[in-house]
Amino acid sequence: MMGISEKEFAMLARLARLEFDGERKQEFMSEFEEIINFANAVNNAVAGDTESIKDTGGDNVMFEELREDTVKESLPNEKITSGVTPVNGYFTVKRVVK
Amino acid sequence: MKYEMNCGLETHVELATETKIFCSCTTRFGGAPNTHCCPICTGQPGVLPFLNKKATEFAVRAGLAVGCKVNTVTHMDRKNYCYPDLPKAYQISQLDKPLSYGGFIELDSGKKIGITRIHIEEDAGKLVHERGNTFVDYNRGGVPLIEIVSEPDISSAAEAREYAEKLQLIMRYIGVSDCKMQEGSMRCDVNVSLCPAGSGKLGVRTEIKNMNSLSFMEKAIEYECERQAEILDEGGVIEQATLRFDEHTGETYVMRTKEDAQDYRYFPEPDILTVIIPEETVERIKSELPELPFDKMRRYTDELGINAKNARLMCRYKNLCLWFESALSYGASVKHSVNLITGVIFSFLSTEENKEKFDLNLTAAEFAKLVKYLDEGKITVSVAQSALLQMLQSGKCVNEFITEDVLLGTSDGELEKICQDAIAANPQAVADYVGGKEKAIFALYGFIKRATQGKADMNKVNNILSELLNK
Ligand SMILES: [Zn+2]
Repeated sequence: MMGISEKEFAMLARLARLEFDGERKQEFMSEFEEIINFANAVNNAVAGDTESIKDTGGDNVMFEELREDTVKESLPNEKITSGVTPVNGYFTVKRVVK
Repeated sequence: MKYEMNCGLETHVELATETKIFCSCTTRFGGAPNTHCCPICTGQPGVLPFLNKKATEFAVRAGLAVGCKVNTVTHMDRKNYCYPDLPKAYQISQLDKPLSYGGFIELDSGKKIGITRIHIEEDAGKLVHERGNTFVDYNRGGVPLIEIVSEPDISSAAEAREYAEKLQLIMRYIGVSDCKMQEGSMRCDVNVSLCPAGSGKLGVRTEIKNMNSLSFMEKAIEYECERQAEILDEGGVIEQATLRFDEHTGETYVMRTKEDAQDYRYFPEPDILTVIIPEETVERIKSELPELPFDKMRRYTDELGINAKNARLMCRYKNLCLWFESALSYGASVKHSVNLITGVIFSFLSTEENKEKFDLNLTAAEFAKLVKYLDEGKITVSVAQSALLQMLQSGKCVNEFITEDVLLGTSDGELEKICQDAIAANPQAVADYVGGKEKAIFALYGFIKRATQGKADMNKVNNILSELLNK
């Protein structure tokens, strides 16, 4: 488990121009720990096919190099919702006021 | 009126591409929930969005069609907001370099409504609120949209409607969207503010979100105008807010006090490179624009001599116009074609959707053959109308219905013979008519109609009878 030090947190808060009181600070620091752990999990994931990705070799892309409008198969619903407990194929979230 | 209204529209138009804006998932409407999705459009970590060329081209085409200039160097930005319909917690949109800017739509009055900008962005997913739960379907997430932002030049609900209708028609003509408000492929956010008449200052504005019907939009603007006027009359101040229009009560409600652009913490999208659109590409897209509806309308009235009402009616449907122009190229006359289209074909198609599709069982060439019979005086208008209706219903060709006997009954020689028979068979009516009783001629008409089974051209009959009776 990797955390974030008070000093690092203070620096990040200053960069983001955000102020935190004591309670909010503790809350955010523990959330940061979760975020960092998640990012580490992504870092450890096995990379897919990166060979076929063309090096764009610059900061720009020309119009002609943009993606062609050709449909490719989407992922099956079970895969898309595999990280959650779906209801009838839907993601569920905390109720938001309509 | 003590106040003047300033109203601007932000119109979201779903682009008719096959795939989403940043991935190759289908944009098809509907489908079981979360089945048109992939790691990109559900915002999984580590994926890279890849901009759709067609969506970019459509957005440029839309801009050119309303007289905008194109930013040939453009980039995407992140608009941050946290809501479950956006899996990434940000929307990829454009802030300072929209694809195009500075166009206008001209109203019938000649007034121009400025178009500030047109930018491209991704649509959000759909939330379903049911029995205390919220369910999310990301099938629509990532469908390409353009947002067309107008200047606050609109000064009445009727002008807002006219602007939106014209925009809708142009977008359909150029094929970038079907703009079906009831299916959500066109939605308007409306900004409304009042200022004292003649002051020229813009008042505090409120924004009514997501109008998906033009008549509701008109009602919402009128209601909001009255609401603001009442507050100002009582010496109050208008609070900048985002509103929702309730279609059942006809009133607006505050959803939230309005956030400013800075609340979205926009920043350049780091996952998508700056896009360069060469001048030649812009020129190519411009040269491929079809004739726009209002140019077509002008040509129909000025060059083809169609009356303004019919020209306007026909130009609402691009497919119809193409079919009509094709019939003209086969030699059909303008006058008879227009009459048959606005009479028989419009009533046959009945719904707006059918007229929009204009998917007929009848080719323009076959229609032209029928019109030419009429042009040459070989059949009457009523025969043409009934034949056309039967052709539309059966899909059969013109010769099935315009047979020799139909043509025979109205040939000039035959008609003269029938007129002579009518005179011979009705001596009393003829005597009365010659004696000054004009109505007596109806007895002759009746005879001729029976003899020709209603297929006689009554104009010709009149000419022949008056010649014979005046001898
Ligand atoms: Zn996708």
